[in-house]
Amino acid sequence: MDAQTLSLPISILNLNQPCTVEMGTPISEVINLMQKGRFGCVLVVDARERLAGLITERDLLVHIAEVRANPDTVRVDDIMTPSPESLRPSDSMAFALNLMHLGHFRHIPLLVGESDEGEGVYPASVVSSKDIANYVAAFLERGKEE
Amino acid sequence: MLYQEIVEEEMAIMDAETPDEPAKTLSPHEIHVPLHSLMHPPVIVDSGASAQEAIDQMLDNKVGAILIVSDGVLKGIFGERDVLLKILNKPVGDLTQIPIQQFMKTDPQTAHVEDSLDAAILYMAEGGYRHIPIVNEQNQPVGMVSIRHIISYLVEHFPQEVLTLPPKPTNEVMKAREGA
Repeated sequence: MDAQTLSLPISILNLNQPCTVEMGTPISEVINLMQKGRFGCVLVVDARERLAGLITERDLLVHIAEVRANPDTVRVDDIMTPSPESLRPSDSMAFALNLMHLGHFRHIPLLVGESDEGEGVYPASVVSSKDIANYVAAFLERGKEE
Repeated sequence: MLYQEIVEEEMAIMDAETPDEPAKTLSPHEIHVPLHSLMHPPVIVDSGASAQEAIDQMLDNKVGAILIVSDGVLKGIFGERDVLLKILNKPVGDLTQIPIQQFMKTDPQTAHVEDSLDAAILYMAEGGYRHIPIVNEQNQPVGMVSIRHIISYLVEHFPQEVLTLPPKPTNEVMKAREGA
């Protein structure tokens, strides 16, 4: 593993399609999705399928009292992180590491398309710190075999 | 001719400023960093604590997982994922009255202080864990390593590549239109 590895695009990590819900979805429904799919985060999209926010296990923990008391009235947009930091699948892994380290983010949505401001718009996948750790683990495994 | 001289002079300066060094590498042996140099102090509750006390400790200490001990010996681990899978949307009742033992994962994968970071990385990848408790010879927790430590380690190993980036990636190629 060398410095050039970090200039490779994030898309080499073979990331899955993201789990998405629409704004206004009851939090109980979001929890069901996260439990069944074992997702650590879910992306929230608007009616035009553009990224609007992100909700994580941490958000659920922080709002646990409210979520447990009102699972059908609390909506995902009440507790999501709106307009989260994002990257493109073609951006380098160094940018993902940079955001995770400086922003203390565990998940970064990867967007495609382009807004008038030149930003990505539509969620294509999510890169997590676990994806990066698994990549390093695979490198270590290869090192053990050689 | 003068133009050519200026270009050559500039090229010579650039060559002098950017020596042709090999790219920095990370060999497997370099990840043999002892965990005691990376780990953070663990957040611990006694096995008699309630689930609510454990959750409050996680929130107060801003951690994703907490260790449960009995007489100082590690008994289990409880994290954000346990809250999602075992508590939310479940008819579990009053969390202040339920012992954390009911929700914790018992006998978690551990590492020892003298183990190195690569062992922790492999444990995490194999088991899908985000946290590995670090214990001493008596199985008493003395630290915790998380996936965040791996990210920090990579950043510290490749600071030139990661910390000197512009705030946003530039996608000039994508922005350029044909014929423009």
